[in-house]
Amino acid sequence: MPNAPLIRLDHVTLSRGGRVVLDDVSLELTERRIGLIGTNGSGKSSLVRLLNGLLTPDSGRVIVHGIDAAEAPAELPRTVGFIFQNPDHQIIFPTVAEEIAFSLEQAGRSRREAREGAVPALARFGREGWAERPVHALSEGEKQLLCIIAVLVMEPAVIVFDEPFSSLDLPTRRRLETLIAALPQQVLMIAHEMDAFAGYDRLLWLHEGRVRLDGPPQEVLAAYRAFAEALA
Amino acid sequence: MISLYLPERTWLHAIPAGWKLAALALISLVISPIESLPVMGALILAVLALYASLGSAALRQLALLRAMWPLFAILLAFHWWNGDLIFGLVVLTRLLAMILLANAVTMTTRMDAMMDAVEPILRPLGWVGLSPRAVALMVAMMIRFIPLLFALWEALNESYRARTGKRGGWRLLAPFCIQTLRLSHHTAEALAARGGAPRGDRR
Repeated sequence: MPNAPLIRLDHVTLSRGGRVVLDDVSLELTERRIGLIGTNGSGKSSLVRLLNGLLTPDSGRVIVHGIDAAEAPAELPRTVGFIFQNPDHQIIFPTVAEEIAFSLEQAGRSRREAREGAVPALARFGREGWAERPVHALSEGEKQLLCIIAVLVMEPAVIVFDEPFSSLDLPTRRRLETLIAALPQQVLMIAHEMDAFAGYDRLLWLHEGRVRLDGPPQEVLAAYRAFAEALA
Repeated sequence: MISLYLPERTWLHAIPAGWKLAALALISLVISPIESLPVMGALILAVLALYASLGSAALRQLALLRAMWPLFAILLAFHWWNGDLIFGLVVLTRLLAMILLANAVTMTTRMDAMMDAVEPILRPLGWVGLSPRAVALMVAMMIRFIPLLFALWEALNESYRARTGKRGGWRLLAPFCIQTLRLSHHTAEALAARGGAPRGDRR
């Protein structure tokens, strides 16, 4: 990783479909493990989508590990990896090896290098036997792991997880959490599971497009839980 | 004919994609003038022997023909009505042999190898500004999403039946289209997150 883990948002405002989803948000994210919580529609997904250029702000600046999102948007996909909620939406090739090779090619390898690199990349996770498997034959957890491997081979500095556990059973989720905990990258995690932030350095609670609370996970979770129970 | 790739390697996997496609083209050329039913019958037997040599997973793929019976029936009925049932049978066996052979190629050829083989043919697309790589990506994604679309249809059918006790049938078409569009939106986003569709012809 060439740069220190630093993501900066400067007075970022973003509207989608005529609605303000992020309202003058300024943040400095230097910690290695950062969580995001908030009700549906609070702006979590929009915020992380700014980081790899999937969305561009109406005003304000976004800087990710030295890259200005407005100036070099093409650099962002290689800097910020993205894991979505549903792996079926993310996997675009019929076999595992092709899926990994596509990422390697997107990261600038030649087609030949990309194909030859797929099996070693799988081997790093003890999954070299997967190379020829059709992706539709993988279980949900295996698909999610494939998505993570396909993102990791692009050697991003940051990995964003957008509700990755929603369709996973508990043992599978725990295995993935252990894997994520060991990653050297800066991690931004959106999750609705209240126990998903063990060992995290910082937790942001977004509410109606603003940061409502920002601090150590335990404190923020306690406040968020109290808020949710007051609504119930 | 789109079918599922066989993950277990067979002898046919080892043959380069270009050869298989060339053989397929050659066989279809050679058999098109043949009008002898015994010869076509022998060909079908040979094709079945080919499937048997690829193992039980390949033989299970023969089930895909079940969906095509109505088409075969209409074809036969048409020729019978025309008074040439034998010729109808010849046409039918020819069709059957070609479908099964094409399917044998897709079963044993990885998508990228297939695209490498046909890319030279796609190259003229570059003259009109279409990247052969983008076309290859499109085809790969199509193959990838077919099982997913079947699953989507099944899920819609299930929720329809859960509330009505009847099969959804054509009523599912509109929701299916909407869900498919949503799916493609998500996938486009995921593709963009990894840097988008390749434009250049990088080697």
